[in-house]
Amino acid sequence: MLLAKTLTSTTFKLALIAIGTFGVIVSAILGYVYLSTASYVRGRSDRAIQIEISSLQEVYERSGRDGLIDAVRGRMVHEGLADHVYILVDPSSRVLAGNLEAWPQATAEPSGWVEFRQTSSLANTAGWPLIRGMIEIFPDGDRLLVGQDISDLDGYTAHIKTAVIAVVGLIFALAGLASVLVTRRTVARIEQINATSRAIMLSGLDKRIPLRGSNDEWDRVAENLNLMLARIETLMEEVKQVTNNVAHDLRTPLTRMRGRLEKAYSRERNGEHDQALIGDTIADLDAVLRIFTSITRIAQIESQAREGAFRTVNLVEIATEVVELYDAAAEQDGTRLTIVGDGEVLVTGDRDLIFDAIANLVDNAIKHGRAGGRVVVTSENVDGSPAISIVDDGPGIPVDQREHVFKRFFRLEHSRYTPGNGLGLSLVAAVARLHGARIEMLDNSPGLKFTLRFAAPAG
Amino acid sequence: MPGGHRRILVVEDDLETAGQLMEQLTTSGYEVDLANSGNEALNHGAAHDYAVITIDRMLPDIDGIAVMRQLRDVGVAAPFLIISALGEVDDKVRGLRAGGDDYLVKPFSYLELLARLEALGRRSDTIAKETILRVGDLAIDLISRTASRRGKEILLLPREFQLLEYLVRNEGRIVSRAMLLQHVWDLHFDPSTNIIDVYVGRLRRKVDDEQAYPLIHTVRGVGYCLRAPG
Repeated sequence: MLLAKTLTSTTFKLALIAIGTFGVIVSAILGYVYLSTASYVRGRSDRAIQIEISSLQEVYERSGRDGLIDAVRGRMVHEGLADHVYILVDPSSRVLAGNLEAWPQATAEPSGWVEFRQTSSLANTAGWPLIRGMIEIFPDGDRLLVGQDISDLDGYTAHIKTAVIAVVGLIFALAGLASVLVTRRTVARIEQINATSRAIMLSGLDKRIPLRGSNDEWDRVAENLNLMLARIETLMEEVKQVTNNVAHDLRTPLTRMRGRLEKAYSRERNGEHDQALIGDTIADLDAVLRIFTSITRIAQIESQAREGAFRTVNLVEIATEVVELYDAAAEQDGTRLTIVGDGEVLVTGDRDLIFDAIANLVDNAIKHGRAGGRVVVTSENVDGSPAISIVDDGPGIPVDQREHVFKRFFRLEHSRYTPGNGLGLSLVAAVARLHGARIEMLDNSPGLKFTLRFAAPAG
Repeated sequence: MPGGHRRILVVEDDLETAGQLMEQLTTSGYEVDLANSGNEALNHGAAHDYAVITIDRMLPDIDGIAVMRQLRDVGVAAPFLIISALGEVDDKVRGLRAGGDDYLVKPFSYLELLARLEALGRRSDTIAKETILRVGDLAIDLISRTASRRGKEILLLPREFQLLEYLVRNEGRIVSRAMLLQHVWDLHFDPSTNIIDVYVGRLRRKVDDEQAYPLIHTVRGVGYCLRAPG
């Protein structure tokens, strides 16, 4: 299964192409080496024979047949010429001199280059040595053959040839093996990812791609895919949670409305009563619509569709307007709402969204802070970075709950019965994310210090 | 509504919504023409002089915004009230920039619609030139930005004065919370709390406490109305 996948994989095909190209080049280089070595070796022996022939020709011209016979005999006792063959015959092929017993049968050509196997046994050779020689025909019909045993040379080039073939073969074999192994590894990792994907499609997002701990690029791919899966799982979980919460938060008022209408339907009409009932129903319906609007608004902010509306705005101005708007609410609650800080804190952003975020934070501080306590809004530049803090002296948020408060519809236990839909901080988080602002929640002991740190304005 | 014509063009392609609109507006004393498509709207709008034209953003043939532009190009001066299911701040801003005079998001309450139509119709009627506005024994001075009842000054914060001024300018008409947010605070969204009620509550204590009669009245389910008795 894995081997079949290995052999059909793209990596393997690419490896084969690489091996093929490389192999052809190596073969060409080694072939060239072989051919040039062989022709060099042969050329050298041929030249030596040619020189020998022409020097013997000179002897013949100078001192005739007898002189040549002497010269040939002299050559044969010469140590350095032990691998040479000489034979001089008269026109009737009678041997006049030489170390061959007879004129070789295989030589069809009257003159020029010949190659033949020496059929007779010689003292200094074993087997059937290969002789390459040159034939010269003298004017009186005498024939001279000077040759050399090239068995060694032939063996030499044959060795090279074997070596070349062996090397090429070995290269192909090793490359083939290596590519199968490498491809197999790649295919195995891809197969793991595929298997995980299939498992996820079949059973759910809780599967992860196994890591090998080799810290290589495959581990990193797997790691990133796993992170992505974790993120998707969290998002899906959140969506599920939100869907449940939406269902709950919408069902509650819808159930109230339905019950009310049902009761009214089966009761006798009563103008005053009916009007109150319809009024309450409309109010509940509005609450449902408001939740709906908040959810779509958060979704829209989260999809980052509004960056086009960004301009430079003064946080202080926005905060002042918010404080002004909530002044009455704070007064009603007995809370002292004040604003302090720098005169101008510029950020790049969307005025309405920032207003909404600050409004939500101030609203929370007043609602969840201590009755008769104080809420301070501070806008200032801290090391060139604009920041706005909203501080109350209420019960605060337990440390272990802090990361949850941004989840849609999340309500702290002690605030479950105060008005609100649990969407405020989700909106704040969405606005902060859109503006690249950092959210900080610190203990004000008592109370909570909620800070939004913006990036310095562009330009 | 004092004087002026009360003829309204409703541009709406959903027949049931159109029917409800016609019925409500006719009941409230308006004369209503209906256009079911952008082309009809262009024909009607150019042919008659309307007090207000309400227009849906999404029409079957021509986009509502394009209809507004074309009508403005042929010299139609009537204010446009955009009624749309596209409710995000961006959509509102785009609609208002394209020539809409006000924006109402579906679903809406008919009281809210009527309040807005009244305000728009009046805007095209008259532009007040007085610097002192009076309702009953309340007088507000637009120059010195002060208010008084029976000659006794009421101490108001600047925003409270703006709020009161808006209510006075719309004397006898219902103004919704959304209208207050939009015109007094320049906010095009609902902060989804009862913050406006609290704010109006404080203004009401300042204006109406220990007086002969109350001026600021709550209109259940919609908003507020400033009026003198009688």
